[in-house]
Amino acid sequence: MNIIETNNITYRYPDGTEALKTVNFEAEEGKIVALLGPNGAGKSTLFLHFNGILRPYSGNVLVDREEIKYNKKDLMRVRQKVGIVFQNPDDQLFAPTVLEDVAFGPMNLGLSKEEVEMRVKEALERVGMEGFEKKPPHHLSGGQKKRVAIAGILAMKPKIMVLDEPTSGLDPKGASQILKLLYNLNKEGMTIIISTHDVDLVPLYAYKVYIISEGEIIKEGNPQEVFEDVKTIRDANLRLPRIAHLMEILQKEDELPFDRPYPLTIGEARRKLKDHFKDV
Amino acid sequence: MFENTLDSYAHSNNLKNVNINFKVLFAFLTMLVSLISTSPVIPLLITFLMSFLIIFKAKIPWKFYLKFLTIPFFFGFLTFIFMAFFFGTGAPLFEPGIFNLAVTEDGFNLGFLVFSRIMGGFSCLAFLALTTPMNEMFSIFENLKMPKIVIEIAMLMYRYIFLFLEEAENMYYSQKTRMGYGSIKNTFKSLGLLASNLFIRTWLKGEQSYIAMESRCYDGSIKSFKAHEKISVKNITILLFFESFLLLGIYLTWGFKII
Repeated sequence: MNIIETNNITYRYPDGTEALKTVNFEAEEGKIVALLGPNGAGKSTLFLHFNGILRPYSGNVLVDREEIKYNKKDLMRVRQKVGIVFQNPDDQLFAPTVLEDVAFGPMNLGLSKEEVEMRVKEALERVGMEGFEKKPPHHLSGGQKKRVAIAGILAMKPKIMVLDEPTSGLDPKGASQILKLLYNLNKEGMTIIISTHDVDLVPLYAYKVYIISEGEIIKEGNPQEVFEDVKTIRDANLRLPRIAHLMEILQKEDELPFDRPYPLTIGEARRKLKDHFKDV
Repeated sequence: MFENTLDSYAHSNNLKNVNINFKVLFAFLTMLVSLISTSPVIPLLITFLMSFLIIFKAKIPWKFYLKFLTIPFFFGFLTFIFMAFFFGTGAPLFEPGIFNLAVTEDGFNLGFLVFSRIMGGFSCLAFLALTTPMNEMFSIFENLKMPKIVIEIAMLMYRYIFLFLEEAENMYYSQKTRMGYGSIKNTFKSLGLLASNLFIRTWLKGEQSYIAMESRCYDGSIKSFKAHEKISVKNITILLFFESFLLLGIYLTWGFKII
């Protein structure tokens, strides 16, 4: 069942340039979906359609099988269901303290103070930021800010979490903490949509991958299917995961028998290598 | 990067967990007492006591605190000099012999009183600024029924000051690495570029944050989520004793002049 669906949406900037060209995007409930694409391909623009910030020029957007109606009441409903974590946490964190920032969303939903307090506590614990309640955002590191931004969305208890480049600008440890968190949230049933150009981490988590280039979806499928089409990937200014690239070189240059599909993760590659060297 | 600012001390001093209402009341009442005094004794005593609290209780490094005090000190000192020369009548105490200028007795006394009040009042303010994080002040403003819109704007300003400080610093360094400040002409040009660029960025960032807030169901007003604490009886007693002690001091030194 699709929890988010866009049907042929087109979006034009006020000056007439087309940012999205008849995009069909589907996210199945309870899955992790990745949107891969180079800079400026329209990833963020597409995301802003998911919660009704942008209205498509033509086509429609369905959230939880209901079409967004762009009136105040319906937008509230949609924005509670679809939480967006923005790429730059500084754009998102506006309040003078972590506590107030995380409480902002749930307070807007009109919940009681006790309920908000509970949700804030829960959300901060979830992202491992308990004890930072009274800190102002400018005293936090990049990874910490990101986690607070995620907590701010979690506290609204959305069904779908949309993250724009969740690992950009983070150190490897910070990035892997965020990914682990997303993985766990997904296990508990949350649908997660991430945009990224980090091809190495996509096959680890994503159930379905979309490739967007110049406002058009040019490829979709599971990671195996998508990365098989090496030409499309490279034409979209992306590359194969490092592991797959290594296997490709081993096959082509050194004539080792690692044929397609190339393994995309370390685990898959390990299995393949073990099988190969067992026979030697 | 902001290790040495007022803000970081306000967040990491030893008195930051003391009840906020108590601190505000303490600073404010003491400031009032300093203002009603007609002799310089009590305001100077207050300056001394507040400085003691700031350095030894709140553990603010004394170097930072002294630096913090220099600006009001010079301001107060200048006021003192001007008042000594231009106010008051009567027999001159001291005549430098130019332009018929003279320091008179009541001019000197008045100048010194104003100076001591400035220092007394300012040390109270410094106590508040150095021990109380700004975000907690916002809840006080709210209790005082300040218009919501003012508080919201102040909150956003407080948050974004630091972002733009960082942005401006980055731009400044990048200009500097390209010799942007090599000559006076270049300096003016670079500063102009920096200012205009910062303005445009402010605009863009504002737009971005608005989108981010809208995504979290923002409807035009930031609903406050703050804990309100009560002052303990013990603290109120201490406060009352301290202020009455100061008031007694004012009564005893009423009209006292140094000359």
